[in-house]
Parts: sequence; structure tokens; C-alpha cells
Amino acid sequence: MGIEVKNLIKTFDKKVILDNISFKVDDGKILSIVGFSGSGKSTVLKLISGLLEKDSGEIITSGGDIAMVFQYSALFDSLNVFDNISFALQERKDLRGKYTKKELEKIVAEKLDMVGLAGIENKYPSELSGGMQKRVSFARAIVTEPKIILYDEPTAGLDPISSTLIEDYIVRLKNETNAASIVVTHQMSTIKRTADSVLMLYNGHAVFEGTPEDLLKAETPYTKQFVDASIEGPMKMNG
Amino acid sequence: MCGKILLKVRIYYKSTYTYKLFKMFQAELESFIITLGNIASMGLDFFKGLKNFPTTFKSIMEQSSRFGVSSLPITLSIVGMTSIIIAMQVAGEMVKQGGGNYVGMLVAILMVREEGVIMAGFAIISMIGSSMASEIATMKVTEQIDAIKVLKVNPIHYLFTPRIIAGTIMMPLVVIISSLFGVVGGAIASNLVSGLTYKAYFDSVWFGLNMHDINVCILKSISFGFVITLISCACGMEAKDGAKGVGVATTKAVVWSFVTIVILDLIFAAIFFY
Repeated sequence: MGIEVKNLIKTFDKKVILDNISFKVDDGKILSIVGFSGSGKSTVLKLISGLLEKDSGEIITSGGDIAMVFQYSALFDSLNVFDNISFALQERKDLRGKYTKKELEKIVAEKLDMVGLAGIENKYPSELSGGMQKRVSFARAIVTEPKIILYDEPTAGLDPISSTLIEDYIVRLKNETNAASIVVTHQMSTIKRTADSVLMLYNGHAVFEGTPEDLLKAETPYTKQFVDASIEGPMKMNG
Repeated sequence: MCGKILLKVRIYYKSTYTYKLFKMFQAELESFIITLGNIASMGLDFFKGLKNFPTTFKSIMEQSSRFGVSSLPITLSIVGMTSIIIAMQVAGEMVKQGGGNYVGMLVAILMVREEGVIMAGFAIISMIGSSMASEIATMKVTEQIDAIKVLKVNPIHYLFTPRIIAGTIMMPLVVIISSLFGVVGGAIASNLVSGLTYKAYFDSVWFGLNMHDINVCILKSISFGFVITLISCACGMEAKDGAKGVGVATTKAVVWSFVTIVILDLIFAAIFFY
């Protein structure tokens, strides 16, 4: 089933951030949430991951872990790549002591191989490029074999080639884990290359829902403004 | 008409310095209560987690090494110099007045009851507390704490437990070593300033000090180690809004720790020495 969100509402200091948002993502599918800054995209991810509490609405999942890839990777800078990736397996109450050192090494090597970074276990985050840090954070996210993966602007701050590489890994991880994925992004390239469906938010409201092809073809003022990256239109940056 | 006058009075009042001062005081009071609540709630969470011992021996050793070994040189310097200054100030006069036999006792009691613990506390806050607060604050503003939560690990248990345990264990050791260093420093200073013999000095130390002083010193240093690490971690956890937030959290940790250990010191003095 993946994940289903029904009538989600979230307010901060009486300001409505998300107003009655609903969507569904099946296993093995990717939903891209798009919109201008401040439209409530990242709030959706924080509500699903449990970092924020919803005011009302429902978040229904098929069970299992929920993983999140953060905008700036959020790797633990005092730990090396091995400890970063195996962090949950070593520190989580229900998993601590379950794996031997050898098993951990095997799992970490597998996950690093999946993101194309074999053999960097002993490096620290500060020794890696932005793109590599992002891929290590992918490996950390999938270490517990989650059923849902959330990506918060995974290509932010990366050059176009690194962005393409990251987009390819998002699709590859979806295929290999069969997880339901939600990608928050501003970039059309990420939408085109990764998404099965798109949800556009503006001021906490869903203003478009459909496939990436529909988004490109749609004639609504919101979608046209977003696709054309125009400052003219109904969506205002300070709105 | 009456409503309009009231509105004008309200607008005028809001532009006065009295109102601005009141609002500033209100904001400070709110911030104080929130911080106090956060420290209490995180302290409670720390104790709740202790029954599962949510840390490793390796983490405690790492933090202990940082707390004890790294802070020792600066703590020894501060406590040592304080005792030398005290001895230099009093030894000459006391020897002249025929009170040379009490110099060792005076320095030792001051060191063990007060100066050793409080000066070590100040040194630890400046060096270790501030570094713990800024480290956790940086983790908070760079979403590393959120990452810990998403990975279903309790950040209080993972980050606070080894630090608080290390602080509580290492603080008495640091205080004992630095107080000893202070007493010896006082002996050297007294000898150089007033020609007081080492034998006379240390006889006076043994005569004046008793086990009660040492026990209270250890108890006080345990409580200082606990509150410094708890406050530093909790204030770090409160950080928000990027680099500025890290600075604010670190300053808050230092100020709160300073004030708390002085208040604790007063409570200890009132309970155990009066």
C-alpha cells in the first residue's frame, strides 16, 4: 500500500502551513512534491517522519521503517562513513547488539555498493564531496530496509552532473527496495527523471496533482508559472 | 469617542520605554521559564533512559577523556594560580603576626571547601561545557538531531547519557587533583614569600582539614559535574536559526552553568557548614 495521507492540516502560530492535503503513494512509486519556498513541502515530510506532530488528518502507512534523506545530508560529522551508515543498527534500542561487527561490515559494504561508493567506510563526512555525502546519506537511509523513503530536496546545492547521478540513484533505490518514495524538489529535471506522480503545493494548498507529463501539459496558471519559472502569475514568493 | 481615546492611550503607551522594558522583561522571563522547563524535562528523560543504559562503555570513555584529560591542564593552572595568589596574599602577613602555623590550614580549607571546586567548575564550564553546548547546537541546526530521531534513536539518550555520566565521574577526579595541586602550590608560594617551612605548612594542612571537608568537596563536585553537563547539553538542544543560534545556545549554557553552580555552592555551604 505504501503511504496514504488524508486531510492533513498543520498550523504554526495560527498560520496555516498545510490545509487539508491528501495524497497516496504506492509501493515502488515516487511522488514528487513541488512548489515555491515556504509552500509547506518539507513540512509534509517532517509530519510523515514524525519530526512534527500534525494538527489533524491521517497518515496511513503499510508499516515498517520510514527513512529520510535530508537537504544537506545531515551526516554525523564526528563519525566515519561506516558508523554513519550503521548508526541505526548500532544504536537503535531494538537493533542494538543484533548484528556482529562482521555482519555490520557486510551490510555497510552492500549499501555503499548500492550507491556506488564502495570502500570509503573509514572516511569522515568532511573528506567527501557534496554529492558523495548525499549518497552516503542514501545508504544510511536504506540500511534498515525502509518501506517509505522521504527525500528533502536531494539535489539542492549540487552541480548538474551530480544532480543527475543522485536522480538515477533515487530511481535505482526505488527499484531495488520497492519502497514508496516522496521527493520534495524545486527542480524540473528531478521531477522528469524520477517522479511517477506530482503534487504541487502553494500556500499550504494542493494546486495540482497528476503525472509529470500532465504537469508539463496543464494549462492552469499555477502549473504554467511553475513550469515556465515565471515571476508573473498567481503564486507570489512572499505569499 | 471613549474608545478612540483609549486606543490613542494604548498606542502612546506602547511607544514608551516603560512598555518596551516591560516587554523585554516579559520575553526574558518567558525564555527563562522555557529553558528551565527544557533542562528539567531533558534531565528527567536522561534518568528514565538510565535503566536501559542507552550508551556504550566506549562512548563514556571518549567523553571522560575529553572531560578529564583535556580540561586538566587549564584547571590545574587556574586552581594552582589561585592558591598561589591566596598564599602570597596571606602568608607574609600571617607569619609576621605569628600565625604562620595556620597558613597551610587556611589555604587547604579554602581550596577543598571552595576555591578548588568552584574554580575547577568555572574552568570546566568555559572549556568543556561551552564545547558540548556548541557541538550539540551545531548538530541541531544542521539537522543531525533530526536525523537521529528519524533513525529511531533517542537523541537525549544517545548524546546526553555518555556526557553526563562522564561529567559526573570525572569532575570529582579533576577537583581532587587540582585541589591537591593548589595545596602544593600554596606551600611553594608560602615558602618563597615568607620562608614558611614545608613541614610547618603541611602540619597545618593535616591539622585543619578533616574528612567532612573532603566528603563535601567530592559530593559538591559530583553535583557540579552533573549540572554542568546537563545544562550544556540541554541548552545546545534548544538551538535554532543557524550560526547565530549556536552562539546564543553556547552563551546560554555558560551563563546558566555559572549561575547554577554558584547557587549550588551556596546551598552546600548552608547545609554542610552552618
